Amino acid sequence: MNKGFEPNIVGFACNWCSYAGADLAGTSRIKYPPNIKIIRVMCTGRVTPAFILKSFQNGADGVLVAGCHPGDCHYIAGNLKCEKIMDVVKRLVGILGIGKERLRLEWVSASEGGRFADVVTEFTEQVRELGPLSGKSQG
Amino acid sequence: MSLEEIIKDTKAYYCLGCGVCTSSCPVARVIPSFSPRLLVEKALFGFGDEIISDKDLWSCLICGRCASRCPSGVDYLNFVREMRMEALSKGKEGLLAHDGILNTIMELQSLNLKQDRNFWITDDLEVADAGEYFYFVGCLPYFDLVFGEGGLCDVGIRSIERARNTVRILNKIGIKPVVSNNERCCGHDLLWNGDLEGFKRLAELNLKTIKESGAKKVICVCPEGYVTLKRDYPRFLGEQDIEVIQLCQILADELREGKLKFLENASVDYKKVTFHDPCSLGRIAEIYEEPREIISSIPGIELVEMERNRVDAVCCGTSGWVNCSGCSKKIQTERLKEAEETGADALITACPKCEIHLNCAKYNADLKIRIKDITDLVAESLA
Amino acid sequence: MESEEIKIGVYVCHCGINIGSTVDVEQVRDSVSELPNVSISRDFKYMCSDPGQALIRKDIEERGLNRVVVAACSPRMHEPTFRKTIQQAGLNPYCVEIANIREQCSWVHEDKADATDKAVKLVCSAVAKASLLEPLEEKEVEIAPRALVIGAGIAGIQASLDIADAGFQVYLVEREPSIGGHMAQLDKTFPTLDCSACIMTPKMVEVERHPNIELLTYSKVIEVGGYIGNFNVKVKKKPRYINMDRCTGCGLCAEACRLKGRITSEFDVGMGKRSASYIPFPYAVPSKYTIDAEHCLFLTKGKCGKSPACKDACTADAVEFEQKEEIVELDIGTIVVATGFDLFDATEKPEYGYGLYDNVLSGLEFERLVSSSGPTQGKIAIGGKDPKDVVFVQCVGSRDKSVGNEYCSRVCCMYTAKQAYLIHEKLPDARLTIFYIDIRAFGKGFEEFYDRVREEGVRYIRGNVSEIIKKGDRLLVMAEDTLLGEPIDVEADLVVLATGIVPRADVRELMNLLKISQSPDGFLLEAHPKLRPVDTASDGIYIAGCCQGPKDIPDTVAQAKGAASSAMTKMSQGKVKVEAIIASVDPFICRGCGRCVEACEYGAPELQEAEPGILVSEVNDSLCKGCGACAVACPCRAISMKHFKNEQIFSQIEAVI
Repeated sequence: MNKGFEPNIVGFACNWCSYAGADLAGTSRIKYPPNIKIIRVMCTGRVTPAFILKSFQNGADGVLVAGCHPGDCHYIAGNLKCEKIMDVVKRLVGILGIGKERLRLEWVSASEGGRFADVVTEFTEQVRELGPLSGKSQG
Repeated sequence: MSLEEIIKDTKAYYCLGCGVCTSSCPVARVIPSFSPRLLVEKALFGFGDEIISDKDLWSCLICGRCASRCPSGVDYLNFVREMRMEALSKGKEGLLAHDGILNTIMELQSLNLKQDRNFWITDDLEVADAGEYFYFVGCLPYFDLVFGEGGLCDVGIRSIERARNTVRILNKIGIKPVVSNNERCCGHDLLWNGDLEGFKRLAELNLKTIKESGAKKVICVCPEGYVTLKRDYPRFLGEQDIEVIQLCQILADELREGKLKFLENASVDYKKVTFHDPCSLGRIAEIYEEPREIISSIPGIELVEMERNRVDAVCCGTSGWVNCSGCSKKIQTERLKEAEETGADALITACPKCEIHLNCAKYNADLKIRIKDITDLVAESLA
Repeated sequence: MESEEIKIGVYVCHCGINIGSTVDVEQVRDSVSELPNVSISRDFKYMCSDPGQALIRKDIEERGLNRVVVAACSPRMHEPTFRKTIQQAGLNPYCVEIANIREQCSWVHEDKADATDKAVKLVCSAVAKASLLEPLEEKEVEIAPRALVIGAGIAGIQASLDIADAGFQVYLVEREPSIGGHMAQLDKTFPTLDCSACIMTPKMVEVERHPNIELLTYSKVIEVGGYIGNFNVKVKKKPRYINMDRCTGCGLCAEACRLKGRITSEFDVGMGKRSASYIPFPYAVPSKYTIDAEHCLFLTKGKCGKSPACKDACTADAVEFEQKEEIVELDIGTIVVATGFDLFDATEKPEYGYGLYDNVLSGLEFERLVSSSGPTQGKIAIGGKDPKDVVFVQCVGSRDKSVGNEYCSRVCCMYTAKQAYLIHEKLPDARLTIFYIDIRAFGKGFEEFYDRVREEGVRYIRGNVSEIIKKGDRLLVMAEDTLLGEPIDVEADLVVLATGIVPRADVRELMNLLKISQSPDGFLLEAHPKLRPVDTASDGIYIAGCCQGPKDIPDTVAQAKGAASSAMTKMSQGKVKVEAIIASVDPFICRGCGRCVEACEYGAPELQEAEPGILVSEVNDSLCKGCGACAVACPCRAISMKHFKNEQIFSQIEAVI
């Protein structure tokens, strides 16, 4: 349907687990689609809803937030705070018409390079299926 | 717009430098450096650049207290709005509260997205896709997620209940309103934060939606939505063939005609209440008496007035989700204390934003007075 | 600051061919050269090399650059390097931003055009952030000159001795009544055949005597708060019911105990028995008895004959049943974790008959059996007779995905060779067979030792054992000799399983306590597998020994010395820079609502009364870890998270899409 459509995906990854997991995918030379561009934060607890909404507003077709597995957060429970917030943001993007499926929260540890690549590959495919978000604000 | 055009458009040149504006300004009472008079005088002396780089430009609440008292008729509100447009064009904006999400939510609504904003419509509510009356729900579905229970900034309110109650009331008086999933934010905050283009985009989409529904009358509950649709849509997009009504006006009419009946001893929760005039409903739209008539006719309720009421009422402390600060909290706390001093059990307001801001001020603070929206109060008291 | 003109230098690294082969580095360099604020963009073979760094410093000096973007490997790799580089040239170290175009670009993508396109965006994002970067101040806090060492096996002992010798106070916490750990249980050690007790005892005694070491045995760390330099640690001391000052270690209590010989000895891994009042092994340190509250009749039933036998027997009046658990609070500068390992539970491989047949032993059980201080005084007898045929099975619980352990335990090949040798020494006529998959004799003197064992006639058969079944009084060990390609059954009187090393069962508890992570194998995770093998992600916490992964004694000791040295380095500096990336509150915007206080796990923000009735939040710099949760919770944006400010991330979002 959307042949040739390459989705724009913004990723927010926590420094200690998921960013390190993404690095490990690199060190292990595990391939995944280039659509995702990662922005590093110290903790997913730093990911304010505005980062998500601004990403969509600027033309992202999907947003991935990746943090430590529950119990592994470097800052005790930043990931769980993020999960609580993302639940609301998902509903928010749902009623805005962006669609919950374009926002994903995943736990990827520093040792899960393979899982990072799998998550990105799968999410990229999902967003590709969904097609482009109706485009940038005309302004 | 050039500085000269702004001065001309807002009649700033009439300024006498009397200082009534600054003296009336609730912000200036908290932040002495903030002065509406000085902002206007700077413009008159040609220091436009200084005004637009000054963060004080964003401290103004657009509450209209200064303008309502200005002896020279300077249109201070539009002066600020136009100055903000200039600031925005230079990449300067105010400090957006909540990391700017409410503003982003508004901006996102100008995209061609299929919203899912009508999730709140339950089976007991009678709504239509087309008809004479259009109920303009406004931001309530979004407010519910942000400020409702478990929301991003939980202040303990249920905004969406307002929408349900409005439809219940309208159904009661025989109106089956149009509620559209294509409705957008009215654009009030974008307009007053200086984003005229963003405002126009939203306004055009709303007018298209309203017209497509065949409605001739638009019912607004939110006072900001009301003044925006009634005053600003025609001003910036030309005269429209629609009548814009505020719910209190309809209810007051129905009351006068004896069509609206309340339960005997309707209010068990509230014996004595006071009414907080929202800036847009009061000073801007000059709807002062209708809400008071409605509240007073609910059996078992006594309405008492705060020291500062009607045209003298004080703003709820923030506007346009900009510069919500310690200053705002002082204004809010003072207002709530003023309400407590009347001996009232509850402060009744008629604006969802007043409700949010005043409730927020109560968070972790020692303020007992309850805050109740007039629409909810009416819906719960109807016979 | 506001008026300072931003001048950014962008440096794109080829990383040899690591980046250059997938990303068109020249194209990246040229695509960003016209971006706002960029005054120069260059590419270089290795940015992290001396000439690469010199290039940056030269540009800073000659061109007046005040922000630097390095597009290279992960910031987790070289961000510290480049911070130092620009600091040497007079810039604030936080004025550098790294674009990760290796780990997150060239190494994971194949199409050169795609990878180049992505690299450009990542560099744009870094430039956008660099334009908004602000210099940060690094504050310093004092480091308490006291170390906590958790676990007193050989790793903890060695680390404690090194730190204490350097003049720092050490608190050594051990959960068992004696220090010594697993090494104390071993008989002789490969490949030199030193007696484990002989080389271990002097160290144990030294620990006890050392003026700078305070030994907390039979104790557990239950709480760790604070941060490097200022950890607040709580240790729970279990009651021993023996007065440590009075006990002379004579053993009369154990002799008198009504349960004598009826309680399984943990130290002898079930091979021997003990009393309720016991000392784990003869050369235990401290050489003091402990009454085991789980078994002691008086403690469990409230009654032991007419009066407790041990109390009656003790001539030193050391038995104190009224002892209570005690909490010790410590202010600690650095922590060394040396909690060791658990032995693989061979019942997870039911086909080997472990637990079912008495003559199938785990590696550690065999150590106790062969040890002269063990339950049989070193006599290897099965059913009263010397075993004629002994079979060793390698890789039990190691290199075995069916039990979830993919890794090699690194010690089993050699300890099996040693055990075979020990049997050969004692029973020269016994026929010894070792089933193996690969022999890993990688250490110093290992291959030589392996050769020596084979010379003694030990038969090595390549093939892993499929099952062990009973055959009369004996066992039948079934396998395939993979070199001959035919099945082989070997009869045995004794089978010794080379049980591997697994993470301690309570490793997660420890991780939560210390806020450190584990690697996929379940052992504790080091900060970097090669370059920071004893550090953890938490500053001031170091790991040593088998808690980090299987290793032999020399490697454990070396790592313990490394961890001790890291801890000492920090403590001898006396001060540590605290996190510069922290939250800060604008007191004029703050509404004093307290949401930040609710969001913080560390108690960093606190509400203060700025003027009567007006509350304002204030962040304690040394408590803030920089996670940013408070900034997200703040409704009015009064809190900004330094180095990850909203505007900085918004600018990255815009640039990256």
